[in-house]
Amino acid sequence: MGVAISIQDLSFTYAETTRPALQRVNGEVEEGTFVVIMGHEGAGKSTLCCSLNALVPRFFRGEYAGRVVVHDVEVAKARVADMSRRVGLVLQDFEAQLFSTSVELEVAFGPENLRLPRDEIERRIDRYLRFVGLADMRRREPASLSGGQKQRLAIASVLALEPLVLVMDEPTTDLDPLGREEVLSVSDLLRQERRTLLVVDHDPDTAVDADQVWLMREGEIVAQGPPRQVLTDLALLEVCGVQPPPTVALFQALGWPGQPLTVEEAIARIQEHGLARPRPLKPPTSPVNGRPVILELRDVDYVYPTRAVEALKGVNLQIREGEFLALVGQNGSGKTTLAKHLNGLLKPTRGEVFFRGRPLGEIRRTEMARFVGYVFQNPDHQIFSNTVREEVGFSLRMAGMNPKAIEERVAEALAVVGLSGYEEEVPFTLTKGERQRVAVASVLAAQPQVIILDEPTTGLDYRHQRSMMEMLRDLHRRGHTVIIITHSMWVAAEYAERVVVMKDGRILLDAPTRAAFAQEQTLAEASLRPPPLLRLGNWLGTSGITLEAMVEELGTG
Amino acid sequence: MNIFLYLDENTWFHRLDPRTKVIGVLLLFGIVMVFNHPLYMAAVALGLVLLGAAAKALPNFWRMRYILALLVVFSTVLWPFFAKGPTPLWSWGRLEVSRESLMYAVAMGLRLASFVAAGLIFLSTTTNEEFTHGLIRLGLPYPVAFAFSTALRLVPTFAGAGATIVQAQISRGLDVESGNIFQRAGKFIPLGVPLFIYAVRHTNMLAMALESKGFNPGEPRTWYLNPQMRRADYIALAVLTVLFLAALFLRLQGYGQVLPRL
Repeated sequence: MGVAISIQDLSFTYAETTRPALQRVNGEVEEGTFVVIMGHEGAGKSTLCCSLNALVPRFFRGEYAGRVVVHDVEVAKARVADMSRRVGLVLQDFEAQLFSTSVELEVAFGPENLRLPRDEIERRIDRYLRFVGLADMRRREPASLSGGQKQRLAIASVLALEPLVLVMDEPTTDLDPLGREEVLSVSDLLRQERRTLLVVDHDPDTAVDADQVWLMREGEIVAQGPPRQVLTDLALLEVCGVQPPPTVALFQALGWPGQPLTVEEAIARIQEHGLARPRPLKPPTSPVNGRPVILELRDVDYVYPTRAVEALKGVNLQIREGEFLALVGQNGSGKTTLAKHLNGLLKPTRGEVFFRGRPLGEIRRTEMARFVGYVFQNPDHQIFSNTVREEVGFSLRMAGMNPKAIEERVAEALAVVGLSGYEEEVPFTLTKGERQRVAVASVLAAQPQVIILDEPTTGLDYRHQRSMMEMLRDLHRRGHTVIIITHSMWVAAEYAERVVVMKDGRILLDAPTRAAFAQEQTLAEASLRPPPLLRLGNWLGTSGITLEAMVEELGTG
Repeated sequence: MNIFLYLDENTWFHRLDPRTKVIGVLLLFGIVMVFNHPLYMAAVALGLVLLGAAAKALPNFWRMRYILALLVVFSTVLWPFFAKGPTPLWSWGRLEVSRESLMYAVAMGLRLASFVAAGLIFLSTTTNEEFTHGLIRLGLPYPVAFAFSTALRLVPTFAGAGATIVQAQISRGLDVESGNIFQRAGKFIPLGVPLFIYAVRHTNMLAMALESKGFNPGEPRTWYLNPQMRRADYIALAVLTVLFLAALFLRLQGYGQVLPRL
């Protein structure tokens, strides 16, 4: 078997920046192998991906040194369009990749560029739509597909070029758990076909089956090797801002033999060595929060006027002051629709919403912003100012506060999100994690009692996810009611006190966190799974949620 | 929200070659322009409704019912004051309404509605790609056609992002519903800047994705869409041409006219 990709001493610095995005990167990928690239935000993963199909340095200009050779072609000397026969690139943002009005035309686009005859294009559309499981959606409009389907279509549209190497840059980041599984099953198929496959991903689960894992940090590759070697070096993973496989972390903390990368492997190890005896699970009954109800939905139905789809059906929910609640469920299950009722962005078609016993209809929308803050998923949907100070003070200026008070509130809000001293920075130039914090601060500045966050950790690396959630925990301790919408099960498990599972516009499950995650069957109905540690915990019968709690329970038991 | 009007049906109208549809809709526009007598216009409008039914485009007529009704009503109310006819009905100072101008106004209302109806039939039966492909076959250079179709394509994407941005800023206390026009214009900044930045990012990503799929506008390419001019196409074009010429002939003979103007 030959070498598919060879990277020699590759360095790249984007034009108009000083910090190199890649520094003396070396690597070799054998034909037909599967490589997973991991690393923190800004580690150079995307730059590396783009350097394989000549987007770097052709599309993104900058200072380029070193050599990248893909199937005997030196990339820097080729054009992007010519590289497309060798390297297919799937991007994280599936919305931006799709632009046709039907599924089949989307797939046809690449082969048309290659000047293939019509019957060959037809054959490829057939083959690759079947491959990604979209064969019966040929005439559908891509905009009407679910997130997972869109990303699979994006993969098919790249595969139709029949590239020798397929590169996927965080293909599952913007997807719900079901969509993620759909995309990963496609990459499984690709692997079985022994295609050369490079995938950037944050989840250690994906890396488990890789032939090689490359770990990147600050533009350099700091580790290369089989997953069992790279993913068990917890200290190194930590430094690279990558989430360690929780089962490995547990076994290391307990001093148990073996480094199981998956829950199944961990269970096998425990049985083999008799490390612990499974016992019946008794989820702790968390003390009932006896504080007053702050938000309440009573028999709420909601129908989107333009789509005539019932997004909420008979939802009843009481949220008490000072709760930390996670809303989980697939896309389209009604989580965001529900959350938008809590600050009056949407008005129920039937039923009523109350804030401290007052019907929301009686409260002015601008006033509502001071009671319930809502942070949208993408911070770029709201940032518009030249400085962080102006951005964060926006809602206060809207409320007509005096400049001195605004100054104080802004400083306070920035301190809470850990951005003190950023007042004069230009928000657009900050990292995604920092922009996310600016968005939170700009909502916090109004000092709302309730703060709702839509997907606060999506698109952030593990390190930023942690610090974002620690910040929310801190807000919660200060007495705020925190409501998050999330796809990330470990985030919900570790930080929320109560989990509400939505399915098809109804509440499927509403329980304290540990109890909710003990109901694997019910979760499966909503196509959800507890995070790995709790799956193991459910099998073992431990009641703790965090790694530390489980270590304590198992260490003494 | 779907701003596109295409309805995925399989009528004979859908199956026509996009070139036929482009030329055909131009001929329909021509026919709509010929008469200014309300009865003749009513016949044309009725014909378009029947055509719409055959092309299964009526759901879109229904969707646009307010616009269609508005066009007819406004035109009927306003036109009498601008067209002068020989038989006065009513006058007030310099304002004057005549029998002919009233009839002319009704005809103009029907004409506008018929215009929209013809356009609706076209858009209901032609996808974005077929349309651009038709234009290319009629001689439009590919890069121009591609830019055109992509621009069309991006409208709903940006509309969606715009809606989210409005909600995000309302949640932060932006009051978009009150204030005079200048105050409202100032509120455009918190909405416009994020949308602009989103648009730049999005188009940049799209450009990356296109190049990665081997796109090169200057080079020749093949087509998966392969419309053929069939017998039905020639028949449709012949029928429409005959109808247009016949209408023109009638009008030149003095039929279907209440006022001697367009």
